[in-house]
Amino acid sequence: MSAVTTARRQSPPASPPPAGDRAQGPWRLLAALLRRRPRPLALVMAWSIVEAAPALLSGLLVATAVDRGFRAGRPGLGLVLLGLLAAAMLVGAIATRLMFPHLAAVVEPLRDDLVRAVVEATVTHASAGEQAPDGAAVNRLTEQIETVRALLSAVLRNTRQVGVAVVAAVAGLLLLSPLAAAVVAGPVLVAAFAFVRLLRLLAARQRDLLLAGERLTAEVTPALGGLRDIAACGARDQARESVRSLVAAQAAAMRALAWAGARRRLVVTIGAHVPMVALLLAAGPLTASGRLTAGEIVGALTYLSTGLEPAVRTLLGTVGSWGITLAVTAQRLGDVVTPLPPRDEPACVPETPVGHDLRTDRLTFAYSPRAEPVVRELDLTVGEGEHLVVVGPSGIGKSTLAMLLSGLRRPTEGVVRLGGLALDAVPRRHLHEVVALVPQEAYVFAGTVRENLGYLRPAGEATADERLLAAADAVGAGPLLTRLGGLDGAIDEPSTLSAGERQLVTLARAYASRARIVILDEATCHLDPAGEARAEAAFAARQGTLIVIAHRVSSAARADRVLLLDGARAITGTHRDLVTRSPLYADLVGHWNHDAPGRDRLPE
Amino acid sequence: MFAAADRKESETMPGPAPRSSEEQVSHGHGDRLIAALSRDSWMPLAATATGSIATTAVALALPAALAAAVNAVVTGRGALTATAYLALLLAGAALAEVATGITSTTATASAIGTLRLRVAGHLLSADVSGATRFSTGELVNRLVSNTATAGSAPVTLLGTLTGVAASAGAVVALFAVDPRAGLAFLAGTPVLVVVLRVFVSRVSGLYDEYQSAQGRLAARLTETLAGIRTVRAAGTASREIDRVLRPLADLSSTGHALWRAQSRTVWQIMLLMPLVEILVLAVAGLGVAEGRLTPGALVAVAGYAALGLTFVEQIDPLLGLAYGRSAAVRVLEVLALPVLPAGRRRLPDGPGALSFRGVTVTRGDARVLDDVDLEIPAGALTAVVGRSGAGKTTLAMLAGRLTEPDRGRVLLDGLSLSDLEPGCLRDAVAYAFERPALLGGDIASAIAYGTAGTTREAVRAAARAAEVDDVVSRLPLGYDTPSAGAPLSGGEIQRLGLARALLRRARLTILDDATSGLDTVTEAQVTRTLVEGMRGRTRLVVAHRPATAARADLVIWLEAGRVRGRGTHRELWRHRDYRDLFAPDAPDSRGEPHGGEPAGVASRQEASCPR
Repeated sequence: MSAVTTARRQSPPASPPPAGDRAQGPWRLLAALLRRRPRPLALVMAWSIVEAAPALLSGLLVATAVDRGFRAGRPGLGLVLLGLLAAAMLVGAIATRLMFPHLAAVVEPLRDDLVRAVVEATVTHASAGEQAPDGAAVNRLTEQIETVRALLSAVLRNTRQVGVAVVAAVAGLLLLSPLAAAVVAGPVLVAAFAFVRLLRLLAARQRDLLLAGERLTAEVTPALGGLRDIAACGARDQARESVRSLVAAQAAAMRALAWAGARRRLVVTIGAHVPMVALLLAAGPLTASGRLTAGEIVGALTYLSTGLEPAVRTLLGTVGSWGITLAVTAQRLGDVVTPLPPRDEPACVPETPVGHDLRTDRLTFAYSPRAEPVVRELDLTVGEGEHLVVVGPSGIGKSTLAMLLSGLRRPTEGVVRLGGLALDAVPRRHLHEVVALVPQEAYVFAGTVRENLGYLRPAGEATADERLLAAADAVGAGPLLTRLGGLDGAIDEPSTLSAGERQLVTLARAYASRARIVILDEATCHLDPAGEARAEAAFAARQGTLIVIAHRVSSAARADRVLLLDGARAITGTHRDLVTRSPLYADLVGHWNHDAPGRDRLPE
Repeated sequence: MFAAADRKESETMPGPAPRSSEEQVSHGHGDRLIAALSRDSWMPLAATATGSIATTAVALALPAALAAAVNAVVTGRGALTATAYLALLLAGAALAEVATGITSTTATASAIGTLRLRVAGHLLSADVSGATRFSTGELVNRLVSNTATAGSAPVTLLGTLTGVAASAGAVVALFAVDPRAGLAFLAGTPVLVVVLRVFVSRVSGLYDEYQSAQGRLAARLTETLAGIRTVRAAGTASREIDRVLRPLADLSSTGHALWRAQSRTVWQIMLLMPLVEILVLAVAGLGVAEGRLTPGALVAVAGYAALGLTFVEQIDPLLGLAYGRSAAVRVLEVLALPVLPAGRRRLPDGPGALSFRGVTVTRGDARVLDDVDLEIPAGALTAVVGRSGAGKTTLAMLAGRLTEPDRGRVLLDGLSLSDLEPGCLRDAVAYAFERPALLGGDIASAIAYGTAGTTREAVRAAARAAEVDDVVSRLPLGYDTPSAGAPLSGGEIQRLGLARALLRRARLTILDDATSGLDTVTEAQVTRTLVEGMRGRTRLVVAHRPATAARADLVIWLEAGRVRGRGTHRELWRHRDYRDLFAPDAPDSRGEPHGGEPAGVASRQEASCPR
């Protein structure tokens, strides 16, 4: 879609890009984006040259008007020449006006592409299981895109000034007196060399500043998210101290950049002022020997002071300041938008599984080859329509199992089959439609209630409102729906809903989906026991398979079958079975019953 | 240079405003903040001012010096002296400019740093319930971005002032040379000023819109990333990308509108400026022709007219100042959060008895706690139960002065918490939370957070008591594993938070739903630590589970901000409504509607589901 995704590289994104690649990085992204719109880019350049014309004429016209007109006693001629200048200014102003739409046509779509590329890359990477940036990092991305947009337009508008002015000054000087040009050439070349060297230093300092800012954001975010914990731990001074050092580091980076930037000013001295003085010093002997006329000296100095000096300054500002910031920022963004390698979809004609029974065959999963497996050689069959509850101590791999069963993690060994077909071979679309995993952290987004509840229905489907309402009612979200103003109600700020309310929304969403297998991964943990019971009962009564990763052991008593994970092995059986067969399970139930006297006791 | 959209100090967008700001912060307050900042970094600012005045002076002297040097070289008299004078001036200019560049950055860096430390310091001593009304992203934005924009304002202001002063000086000089030329200048400028004003007002409105579109986009992206597991499971990444990008259309159209506004106005400015100059030159030229002015005066008029027009260049800094003001206001909204003033009194030894006397807490229109009187007995385990929104968490926050009541007092061993010296208070009260933030770097420092000089052995003992030692041992680097990104489940993080509280061995330990994520077995072990291992210390436990309530010495039952009942679990069990708090499927448990719960916090369940 975007230029960046189109220019997809084949290298795996996980490994850091090679150093050489990195060096050309900043311009690769910008060049790819600029190449897409050559026409407006060319038009901007063309109009901006026209825009510059009156500025070139002004010196000449004013000088002539004064010398030949007003001073020579011909005020009419002076006024005519000034009128000519006004006309030239009008042409320039019109060129400015005409240039803007083209500048907008370069910069605005480029920003759009950049936003699109960053959003696509961020969401795609995160949904492929990589660590997602937090809110502060997202804000920073926005800021960096804006920097690129602003600086790019500034650089585009100013580059021609640099180009035209430098060319004019140098050409003028050469035409006027090759000898004067020779005197000037030495220091100018030294300045050019120094400038190129300086660019590296400036880029490094600019990058340091950017990184210091990013570090400040990255480290201040957990502290500001944990204000309550800091207060509760009495760690105010400790926290203040760490913020102080980060703030100081950022300020130091700012000052370091300023010191490096000060050297830019020295380039002006070497490139423009030293030649002036050199020319003045050389002028004496040269005029004495008759090789340079007074007029030539005046002309050469005029070119130096009104042509070259401003040009050098603009060059330093445009390239040495904006250009550097632009390049460094674009490079950081380029780091973000590294595309993913294409996902290997099954190459053969995709088969669609028959039926919706889930089977695992010697299913094993470990985070790394050396780590102890989280799931080990699990054989499990979940028949279509069955209600299975997974019970076990926290950290034992229940959530990992949920991810494996829904195809979000690939087994290290063994296989998960859906309707007889290995999950890897099942077309993604089909899998996503058939299996609904509801994680503990409820995802509710800003939008209407209808959008939120219909989220798992195929896009564009005219979802029957009755179905959504019935789903909300079934899981116990009816009162919440009423409070939110029905299906048309807007959820502007999902964070204003309580954790339990957000879970109700995601439960209703899963209920309303077409999924034939629903996996609730502690998806009811923020509901009270009564709410949890109601939601689970609703899903049990719904057509299809229900797998519950239990938060409370009371969920188990409601299941057809219980899978007990205790680290070493996995046992399945009915609730009554397990009470007699597994001491651990009996313990769990006993503990529960100890807490819940009366009618909430589970059968022992 | 006139382009408002060319600003590089573009700032992250304002997020959603805090839902209820305690105090209206106006632009006037923002101005005062900027003034205060200027006072604080007056030294580098004064140096910057001196530097820029010197730069301007040298710039004014240079043309004359260059002319003199050329004359001297051409005539061959005093060439060396004149050239040396020029070289000196050029060196002076370089020095002044370098110095100005460095001092202005120093001034800005110090203003930003001061402001950031002030914001951070304020947040760290603020009432926690007030500060957490801002989202973390919003706080980071204000601490990092808004401070940067506001902190640049003093230097920008200085630049504007010197720029305007130079322009004004040039106009005065113009009048001194030739009053007619001065009048011609003044006749031309009003049009220019009007055009500028129209431009600025048009562009600022658009720029606000632009920022708000940017903010909506960023907010959507953040939201999607927070729910990325659901997105993965549903395979809706591409749909999410479309959803996040929806505000892009607005952003784009506002961006184009900004350019249109510029294209409409900038050319007029580009035309008007030289026209004013030409008008002044024409008047002066006629003066020369009439013999009223010397040719030299004509050159001076041209120079002063150009210098006089440089006020137009102040547009960008002026816009920058406008952003600086808005940023200052946003910073001030944080600085206006109520702080908890530190008390002075030391806490004498005591058993750890906690009392609430007529405590009322209101949030917006809702009463979260309504005139609560409570005695939490010393050395006992007290459980607080109630439905969501009943005020349990607020009660827990009050008990260790993380927030302060709007009315009433909270006493520990007879002393009001607000009178206590903060160090004493923190030594006396420890907290564990449902979702603790692990701070301090690695796991060991996360457990020892806030207690400097803790030995590794003490850390491990606390971890063992919280049943989390095994978990940590299985981590890649054990206790040295960095907390961020460590593969820990919610229940495991909860236990680390619990270890952090246990380590402090405080007189009063408050557990706000700190065991909710634990499985039944671990929870039983942790409960044993709470009941037996901490015997004799006061424990206040907010819980949803009957387990904790059953083992507590005393249960406080909150409902809609009031104490509905107190007693042992067994005593309270006689109430049907109390049983409903825990009962999964009582057939007739539809209780009375619980009025008075604040909307938006309560998760009201109807417990009736006949099967």
